[in-house]
Amino acid sequence: MNTLLKLKKINLKYQTGKDNINVLKNIDLTIKKKETVSVVGESGSGKTSLIMLIGGLERPTSGKIIFQDREITNLNEDEVSEIRKQNIGIIFQSFYLIPNYTAVENVSLTLELNEFKNPEKEAKSLLDRFGLKHRFNNLPSQLSGGEQQRVAIARAIAMKPDLILADEPTGNLDTDNSIMISEILFKYVKEEGSSLIMVTHDPKLAEKAKRKIKIKDGKIK
Amino acid sequence: MEKLNNPSELSLIFKYALRDLSRNYKKISSIIVTLFISLFILSAIFTIEDSLKKELNDNAKTLLGGDLEIDYNRNQGDLNLVNEVKEFSTVSQMIEFSTMLSTTGRKKNKSLFTRIKTVDKKYPLYGEVVYEPEDAYERMQNEPKTILINESLSKTLKIKINDKVKVQDQSFIVVGIIKSVPDVSGFVAFGDWALAGKQTLEILKLNGIGSFLNYEYKVKFKPSDDPEKIESKIKDIFKDDQKVKLRFPENSASGLKRIINNFSQFLSLVSISAMLIAGIGIANTLLSFINQNNMSIAVRKAVGFYSGNIKTLYYLQLLILLFIITVISYGSSFLIVPIADKYLSDGLGLNVYPKFSLINFIKIFIVGLLVLIIFSIPTISSIDQVKASNLFRNVFQNLQFYYSKKSVIFSFILLSFLVLLFTLGSERPSYSLGYFLAFFVCLIVFFLLSKVIIYLLKKFNFIANISLKVSIKNITQTKSITPITIMSLGLGVTLLLTLALVGTNFKREIARSIPDIAPDYFFVGIQKGEKKKFEQGVYKMNPDANIEIVPMVSSGIVKINGVNPNRYIKPDNDSYWVIGSERRSSWVENIPKDNPILKGEWWDLSKPSQLQISLDAKVAKDFNIELGDIFTLNIYGREIDGEIVNFREVDYRDLSINFAMLFNPQFAKKIPHEYLATAKFKNPDNFDEIKMLEVLPSLSMIKIADYLNKVTSVLNKVFIAVTLISGVTIIIGLIVISSAIMVQGKVKEYQNLVFKILGFSKKEIIFSSLIEFIIIFTSVILIAIFFAVIGSKFIMENIFELVWQFDFEVLIYLGASIGIVTLILIMLTNLKYLSPKVYPLIRNQ
Repeated sequence: MNTLLKLKKINLKYQTGKDNINVLKNIDLTIKKKETVSVVGESGSGKTSLIMLIGGLERPTSGKIIFQDREITNLNEDEVSEIRKQNIGIIFQSFYLIPNYTAVENVSLTLELNEFKNPEKEAKSLLDRFGLKHRFNNLPSQLSGGEQQRVAIARAIAMKPDLILADEPTGNLDTDNSIMISEILFKYVKEEGSSLIMVTHDPKLAEKAKRKIKIKDGKIK
Repeated sequence: MEKLNNPSELSLIFKYALRDLSRNYKKISSIIVTLFISLFILSAIFTIEDSLKKELNDNAKTLLGGDLEIDYNRNQGDLNLVNEVKEFSTVSQMIEFSTMLSTTGRKKNKSLFTRIKTVDKKYPLYGEVVYEPEDAYERMQNEPKTILINESLSKTLKIKINDKVKVQDQSFIVVGIIKSVPDVSGFVAFGDWALAGKQTLEILKLNGIGSFLNYEYKVKFKPSDDPEKIESKIKDIFKDDQKVKLRFPENSASGLKRIINNFSQFLSLVSISAMLIAGIGIANTLLSFINQNNMSIAVRKAVGFYSGNIKTLYYLQLLILLFIITVISYGSSFLIVPIADKYLSDGLGLNVYPKFSLINFIKIFIVGLLVLIIFSIPTISSIDQVKASNLFRNVFQNLQFYYSKKSVIFSFILLSFLVLLFTLGSERPSYSLGYFLAFFVCLIVFFLLSKVIIYLLKKFNFIANISLKVSIKNITQTKSITPITIMSLGLGVTLLLTLALVGTNFKREIARSIPDIAPDYFFVGIQKGEKKKFEQGVYKMNPDANIEIVPMVSSGIVKINGVNPNRYIKPDNDSYWVIGSERRSSWVENIPKDNPILKGEWWDLSKPSQLQISLDAKVAKDFNIELGDIFTLNIYGREIDGEIVNFREVDYRDLSINFAMLFNPQFAKKIPHEYLATAKFKNPDNFDEIKMLEVLPSLSMIKIADYLNKVTSVLNKVFIAVTLISGVTIIIGLIVISSAIMVQGKVKEYQNLVFKILGFSKKEIIFSSLIEFIIIFTSVILIAIFFAVIGSKFIMENIFELVWQFDFEVLIYLGASIGIVTLILIMLTNLKYLSPKVYPLIRNQ
């Protein structure tokens, strides 16, 4: 099978006070292996909610999510963590590096968790690949935005996940850094054969993906 | 805590725990400080207690003065039996007695009631006598009419080496000063005492019972002999002698051990209170720490960490921290031992040395662990509330204490274990349990008080004054530190005020008893033919003296209803002292005014030839004695049966003449006796002890005021130590409050910035903090006073059985002092948030 991920009739509702908000409505989506997909749409349309569901960070109100032929919708938190640990890398708009860990330690975190033999060496090699050789032992506060995002990408892809989820990866960066980050990301996906689902407001970045999905009012258009 | 998947995961978490701790320890400095202080106090108590007990056990033979002690109390005993013992072991005889020791050759001589120990050349069988100068001890043994005095006596009477002193009508040369004697367990090691050679006995007249004579024989076994066999051989020799008491090293210093146990129990309870108050702060600081790490926790969850493993990571950090702090605090407690050693060697002649005890270390670690876990469960459980999905929203909600049914039950079990740990091992478990109960009741009441204050202040929404409005808002806001402040400060203040009230009541009770009830002097050793001489001597100096003089005879209870009472009445019985050794008894025609009869009739005059006994009602109750029961008394070697005819209420604390047993005078006046007297003077300064001794050289005089002053001075030192240790609870409470304010710092800074933008002046901000403090502190102090009054009243009336009186002054002084210190601390902590920098805050940096 060539399918990596399948979403069937996914609905997501939030309750705020007495009101029910339908964030996602009857979403059906299939992502193939090695496929790159960009998710676009207006603010509040449900893009981020969609990748949160895919990453197992939220539970849908109804519907099924099947990842690598295994339904993850009914798994408990630890079981989902186990899948995420090995197969899903997440990149955030605000980088979210652990503030008191150095660049190497931030990247090593996922490698150590996945019991890599020499996590520090692997982490350094990755950072070197992203042009951060001189920043190994710097804390996030000592890095620029672009550098922080490169470390965050290195952390997300360190254990060579089958799926990378990126939420506005260039949203907090200037133009030069945005270009650099998108190049790094797409180059890596191409070389390692991971799938990528990327939420973005940047039309240029969205165009880089093989497939573009537009979400409006919680529905895929 | 949840289980880990595999050992490698555990080692990974351990690695992260070490890394995180080494980088975050500054953020949890208040946890470190409060934990250290409370564990240090606990360690110091355990270490000193352990060192003291070790010293007592290791030196049991030295403290007893031999492998065994044969105590004949008031009489010389059966020398034939003692000689039998001498055949197979070394026996050292010593006789202690009390008499007046006076200075001579001065313009105004002084005298003191002194305990003198006469020893033979074999003394001491174990240990050594420390004295100066070098040849003093040898001179005392070989030269007649020489004496060694202790440092206290030397200081009080200003006696120097080679000065002459008078004991009864004999003159002695003070050849040296004693620093310490080894056998302190059976001898008065503090107060005024002296050491003299055996020949002293022949020089002095010591037949009177007023000399408080005590005959002892210390026995040292041959090293080649089996101690158990020798012990049973000696027991066999004395098996038919009812007057003798054999003591063994294991029961040496049992009284001292009991005092140590009681005192360390009390101090341990104070230190665990400090730890529990620290626990409140730990929970608060930890929650703030976890809130600061909210994002890191979410990131860990996002990359695949289990929630359980993240919680384990935090528990591990606490465990590592606790281990390090326990090592440091236990190690530091050894520094306290030399200080304790100084006081103990001065006071008791005991030397303590720091000794490592693994059991103590583990005990301290476990106590710390229990407190940490109990208070961190609701905090660390809040990690479950952190969602990785927050990373997408860039919104992190503030975490709250999380109580699940499981965690509440687990915390309760741990708390019960902690209480049991301190209760079961203590000298008086019921008191410990009562203390914990009171502690938790106070804790709950203070928590409820905070809620009531918040509830009531929320109703004050009509206030126009802006400073008052802000302070009320600060107290009532959702993240208010009001409950933590009220609980930690309230508990500390309650403890301190309670102890202060007990202390002042105790001291006042002792001081008050001197002028109101007690006589100025006790006189013992007035022989039968000296009664008139004594009265004349006193009246000559003080014509208006109020003298009470009663006959006195020494008797021992040999049997109660035909059975030796020592067989069934144990030493822990409150009235054991009545059968423990020979007692002095008296007789009177009429019922004493301060000894009302509770049961039975006064003397039956129709039976003048029969001994009738009036017994202390408390003794009767403790020994289960009924009217008509028969006491067989040994009086001057004769066994006489006496019938118990009534029970009297005797209050020994009034310091007037009181006897456990009174005899019917028709029978008793035939018995050879001497007199005991008390005297109360309008002007005690007119009474000259030296002149009185010239009239009656063998008279012993005990000045009540001197003794009560000594007791008061000891009590003062004890209360100062206790108050200082209790003060630790206040210090910890203040650290908790200070850390709580700092936890709120960011919010406070932001709030002050908004105020600044709105045109609020610094003065108004400070004023609002002041109002906030006054509202909280007033309510805390009122409740604390309420608890302190109840607690101290209970302790005084039920434990010490003394009168309790409200002492407004001490409450005002202490309350105001604590208030000022707290206010300064709050103001200082808030000071740095008073001038917020506008730019970084507006730019959300």
